[in-house]
Amino acid sequence: MPEMSREKVAAVEGSALGQIHDIDIDDVLDYVHKDLKRLPGYIELYQRYLRQRWDVYEIDFAQDARDWTDRMTQDEREAFTAISSGFHHGERQVEVELPVFMLGGSEESRIYMSSQIEDEARHTVFFDRFYREVVGLPGDSVQDVLDASFQHVSETFVGPFGLLAYQADELRADPEDLAARVRYGTTYFLWIEGVLALSVMKITLSYCRNAGLLPGYYTGFTATCRDEARHVQFGMRFLREAVQEDPRLLREIHETLRTILVINGATSRRLALEALGWTQDEVRRLMIRQLTMKLVDVGIDLPPDVQQMISNIEPELAGG
Amino acid sequence: MAVFFTPEWAEEVREAVDRGPGEELRAAKLPAYWAWIDGARASYSSSWALGVRDLAGGGPVYLRLGWKDGACAEAAIVGPDDPLDATYVLVADFATWRDLLAGEDPGRIVMYRRLRLQEGDVLRFFRGIYFFIESVAAIGRVAARLP
Repeated sequence: MPEMSREKVAAVEGSALGQIHDIDIDDVLDYVHKDLKRLPGYIELYQRYLRQRWDVYEIDFAQDARDWTDRMTQDEREAFTAISSGFHHGERQVEVELPVFMLGGSEESRIYMSSQIEDEARHTVFFDRFYREVVGLPGDSVQDVLDASFQHVSETFVGPFGLLAYQADELRADPEDLAARVRYGTTYFLWIEGVLALSVMKITLSYCRNAGLLPGYYTGFTATCRDEARHVQFGMRFLREAVQEDPRLLREIHETLRTILVINGATSRRLALEALGWTQDEVRRLMIRQLTMKLVDVGIDLPPDVQQMISNIEPELAGG
Repeated sequence: MAVFFTPEWAEEVREAVDRGPGEELRAAKLPAYWAWIDGARASYSSSWALGVRDLAGGGPVYLRLGWKDGACAEAAIVGPDDPLDATYVLVADFATWRDLLAGEDPGRIVMYRRLRLQEGDVLRFFRGIYFFIESVAAIGRVAARLP
């Protein structure tokens, strides 16, 4: 990956919410990966959070609501809703499953993790507002809106997110169990955050930018993507340090990846990606690239069978 | 109609999960999804104990389903004082079972951890997750008289 210019890094890193609409999603995705070899410390990531957090209630969805009804086709709306619903429920799921991970690890890790839990709650509210104010889903509570959007969530969502829920339960029995933390971290930080979430961001935000639509969504979701940079960098640092501390833990990463990639082989609904300007093959290549970039940069070697499974990845769009 | 968590109901459940969904239900999802499930099921030989934590009169009580080479070969009700031997032990409260029988989505039940894995390897269990989910959906479609 070519190195980011200092100006682009400064723009992604320092933009306030009101300026973030001018940033290209590709620059934010480059920003996610630019520090993967160095990997900032947990307190450095916490300090970055304090500078970069944003107010989800400052986003103005008025133009988005007009775009939704007046400028988007039915196919575009359906594809967008299907993809965003996986994120809506994914954000809720990770917000709920993260606190148990915070119980273990160093004090620095716990301090950082408190910020990530707040991020995930804020992202859940972002989607709650988007579905109420733009898509027009009804509901008096956050749960009501989740219930209303659930019909758009693919049956295979339960694969990665149910796995995370059960791994959180496993971790709850002993939050300091490093092998359980590594398995959980592989599912959450590497796959859900590092592959699924970033792929959805690239697809939906490229669509918004290219079509000049949904400025409120673009602003909030680009800010969300910048938050994901911290999440992914924390997670990759955690995995790298765990394997350095005990190289046998690499087996836990491999076993978790085997399960995730087996699960990934199932597709229950056809997503009309073409309506958003993407093909199945492009999404497949995007997901493979997202995964391999992280594995290479963090130095996680894979056995041949897992490498083969990665080359067979199926498009899957959810996030959290 | 068989009474919930009785041997008669367990046998009806065994037949239903062994038969799998009919053509109408299969048509609602992509063939690739069912192909994945058929692949996961083909040599499946594990057993599930699906418990209800708070059935009237005490609990937990388990529905034990034994799979042999992809066929659901055994079904039994295991009481709280009986020995329980299963690859995977999962437990829910009665309200969750009632919702499942009323049509609640089993994937959502798992996501919201209303059905919890108490014993068994999480990673191995999830390598057959959609097969499990569709089997639980089949259980939910078996009519039962609730206490």
